[in-house]
Amino acid sequence: MYVGQAIRRREDERFLRGRGRFVEDITLDQPIAHAAFVRSPHAHAAVTHVDTAQAAAMPGVLAVLTGADWTAAGHGEAEGVWPVKDMSGADSRTAYRPLICVDGVVRCVGEIVAMVVAEDRHQALDAAEAIEVAYEEKPANTITAGALDPDIPLVHPAFGTNEVMVTEHGLKEETEAALANAHHVTEVVVPTNRVTAASMEPRAYLGHYDRVNDRYTVWTTNQAPHIVRRYFTKSLHIPEHKLRVIAPDVGGGFGMKLYHYPEEGLVLWGAIVCDRPVRWVGTRSECLLGDTHARDHHTVGRMGFDENGKILGVKFETLAAFGAYESQWQASITNAYHFTMLSLAYDIPAIHTQVRAVYTNATPVDAYRGAGRPEAVYQVERMIENGAQEMGIDPLELRARNLIPPEKFPYQTALGITYDSGDPPVLMGKIKALADYDALRAEQARLRAEGQWMGIGISAFFDMAGAGPVKMMNDLGAKVGCYDVASVRVHPDGRITVFAGSHSHGQGHETTWSQIAADRLGCDIDHIDLVEGDTDRVPMGIGTWGSRSLSTAGMAVYTAADRVVAKAKRMAAHMMECAPEDLDLADGEFTVKGTDRKLSFAAVANASYHSGDRPSDLEIGLEETSFFDPADCTYPSAIHLCVVLVDPETCAVTLRNYWAVDDVGTVINPMVLHGQVHGGLVQGIGQALMEECAYDAESGQYLSGTFMDYAIPHAEDVPSFGLDAHFTRALGNPLGAKGAGESGTIGAPACICNGVIDALWHLGVRQITQPMTPKKIWRAIEDAKRTQH
Amino acid sequence: MKPARFRYLRAASVNDALQALAENPDAQILAGGQSLIAMMNLRLVKPACLIDINRISNIGYIDEDGDGVAIGALARHNDVKHSPLIRERCPLLTEAYESIAHHTVRNRGTLGGNLCHADPSSETPAVMVATGATLMLQSLRGQREVGAEDFFLGTYETARRQDEMLTEIRLPGRRTDGWAFAEISNRHGDFAIAVIATTLRIEDGRCEAARVVASGVGEHAARLEPAEEALIGGPIDDARLDAAAAAAAGAVDPHSDSHADAAYRRDAIAALTRRTVRRAAARCD
Repeated sequence: MYVGQAIRRREDERFLRGRGRFVEDITLDQPIAHAAFVRSPHAHAAVTHVDTAQAAAMPGVLAVLTGADWTAAGHGEAEGVWPVKDMSGADSRTAYRPLICVDGVVRCVGEIVAMVVAEDRHQALDAAEAIEVAYEEKPANTITAGALDPDIPLVHPAFGTNEVMVTEHGLKEETEAALANAHHVTEVVVPTNRVTAASMEPRAYLGHYDRVNDRYTVWTTNQAPHIVRRYFTKSLHIPEHKLRVIAPDVGGGFGMKLYHYPEEGLVLWGAIVCDRPVRWVGTRSECLLGDTHARDHHTVGRMGFDENGKILGVKFETLAAFGAYESQWQASITNAYHFTMLSLAYDIPAIHTQVRAVYTNATPVDAYRGAGRPEAVYQVERMIENGAQEMGIDPLELRARNLIPPEKFPYQTALGITYDSGDPPVLMGKIKALADYDALRAEQARLRAEGQWMGIGISAFFDMAGAGPVKMMNDLGAKVGCYDVASVRVHPDGRITVFAGSHSHGQGHETTWSQIAADRLGCDIDHIDLVEGDTDRVPMGIGTWGSRSLSTAGMAVYTAADRVVAKAKRMAAHMMECAPEDLDLADGEFTVKGTDRKLSFAAVANASYHSGDRPSDLEIGLEETSFFDPADCTYPSAIHLCVVLVDPETCAVTLRNYWAVDDVGTVINPMVLHGQVHGGLVQGIGQALMEECAYDAESGQYLSGTFMDYAIPHAEDVPSFGLDAHFTRALGNPLGAKGAGESGTIGAPACICNGVIDALWHLGVRQITQPMTPKKIWRAIEDAKRTQH
Repeated sequence: MKPARFRYLRAASVNDALQALAENPDAQILAGGQSLIAMMNLRLVKPACLIDINRISNIGYIDEDGDGVAIGALARHNDVKHSPLIRERCPLLTEAYESIAHHTVRNRGTLGGNLCHADPSSETPAVMVATGATLMLQSLRGQREVGAEDFFLGTYETARRQDEMLTEIRLPGRRTDGWAFAEISNRHGDFAIAVIATTLRIEDGRCEAARVVASGVGEHAARLEPAEEALIGGPIDDARLDAAAAAAAGAVDPHSDSHADAAYRRDAIAALTRRTVRRAAARCD
């Protein structure tokens, strides 16, 4: 069996040797021209004049294009695949992110006003600098919390409001009643900071138009190439069958690379106009500004407890930033992934949440690893932590009293979602032992007596992973079918190529999909190749996001492989003159049960293509495809626990320990799983302690445009992680596997913030906005001192 | 290429570089390039001409200079950081390097380039001022010496004239001084939010001399004289520590930015002063 083994990643050799093939590595017969963009330096301004004459005359310049040219060409917009629905069913106030400014108003810093295509990158940049744009500045607002206040500038005046839409979910009356009757009510204002994925490979695109065959090709840093094909039907009005989308090796996506970014559409437009392939490779600054940002919620929450710390009800009012425009998947957060998960790992009888999505003059927000669930966990866990502290109940003990007991599974939350399987009390028991919790509390008391500030943070949660089923996701708003596809092609020599509609940009599918296929096909893993990321080689697919690939594409591999085996057994049975049911397949050989009669899989494969001697109703060939629509989402769960030390003099935080116990169902490859958890934790730690997409409140200028300003954790900023696992089977797929890509980012911000609050509670600190940089902790302590005196 | 167009000149000798500087008044010297190239790539600076001194031989030295050390213009940060001679004679600089940048940056970047860049949050200027280093500036017109205290004039602004090249940094010997360096940044190796470099001399239990130098809280590294005065004249006890910390906080007028606000920086200066003075006192021979 390969499944369950920590097999080394088959893709790593080419990455470690620098032999990966990324968009910037692609070469073509024709010389590739380069695009450069003129971007708005203002958060909100009227574009009164664009003078391109000087730039157009500069050396090497092939074209200078503006929004007027876009409009004249009749091109369209980047329409959402998960459009926003208002709870009333009415049209929400939708304004999709334009590929290039077409209406004479820029609404966030970085919005593209013009594109230069030139022979080389240097010439394109020089020419872009020579374009003169006259702006008339308008008042701007980048702050989510105030977006609906009176007198706040409107991002889209035509709507008459900055509100995109309102949704409400849960049990309103029950929640109000629970809060009214509660023994204790905790109220906390929790803003979730705006962050971005900061993938190792910046976004990059290469567009090509083959005029002879009237076919288009786009190489793109994207996680879902088939959906890119769909975007182009609306932006450049290219029919899907005429466009080939290739997502080659991609260096990290995290949700951020799911979208139809302006530059992606514009390079192909440039290629059509110039009759030359056109490439753009983002700089780090362009990407920190233009990649979708994430989170940015402003929430007021109230949680009611009985005298034993049992949670009776919780109510949230959230303002959720959209930024200046609606990005294609934005509503998957507000309308699907955020509200559904607000019960976390707790048995909460009454929950009510209202979300008002708002426009601000900032980069559009969309999904990033966790997408709505980190916000949900942060919002709920902050209430629980403060409630426990206020009531004087040990925070772990209070949580233990509220965990969903195993006998309640399948468990339907107050928000109507049903967790299929899980056992939170076992996870809690494991993490308590792993961390030696009681010893930590004793150490905390001892250090506090010495004037040292140590805190213990906890978070416990469920994730909704593995989107679909198609129907369920349609009901939550998706306009793309959330299935996935795989084909298993057996070649005449018995070697196998698997084609999958998923896309690996760090996940390790070449290893894990091959593990699944090799087990089903009874073959050597080295006899399997995987093809992903090319819409001409893999005709359909939905792509990799939301911890979905294993329970959709992975299961399609599983199912298609089983179909291949069933067909091969019929051929083998015919050749061996026995019944298919009498055959076993292992180690590349069919064996007749109870005998020593054998026939190699390769011989059967060859006969399947080349022998006329076959069952009369058996088609030639050995290749099967499965479109797999899972029976349910998967609901992985986890509990995190950390120890932080806060320096009493400088207020710097040291994250000393971090433990996580995960339930991700059946594990295909424990090493890959640990990699996912580690990476997610580091990103979650970044959100908690250092990462922030910051805007100047006055000017709306973006302040986080380099890695000196946008801090992501270094290796030395994170401790060695202590991981453990407990497995309950997922019920929605045959392997019983649950998604595992997002646990770290979902749980870490809440866990670490709770730890810092725990360290400072005795000083009167009740909440600190993330990222919890030294200055914010210092300020919170100063404010607490002032309040107490 | 990402930067705006520029002319590139490669100097084969110091004289060559000085000649080029004299002939190109809009030129910049390219040493390690760890700040300059990044700023050029962002097109924040657009020098018309770069004079590359990386091929000049024998100017990356770290040599004995009396009881002090002489450091050549091209000495890389990592060479300085790991130099046993520096560790022995200017351990304050060795300690400061624990907080300076990251390995790859230090591998290429130079101490001389770092000083000439004069970033207001840079650590090395504070060390230079705290140790009383001397900077040798050379031009076709001749050579002059400038004390570190007189070298740093403002944000990215130094006493170096356009036609001059910093050719050598001279660090005095340590004698009996105690030393300590401390920094706060949001992430290890990042630009400093606040820096204090302290040197002390204690004789017969009495603080005879003190330098408390701050960086990151003004336009350039500068001595906090009220803090020094609070330390001199008696033992380093709690009263003197408190007085020096309060005086240090009062002597700075920090700015607010997205990394830290002024009030936090002032409090941080007090904390770092206390921390470095305590440690420096313990290190006095």
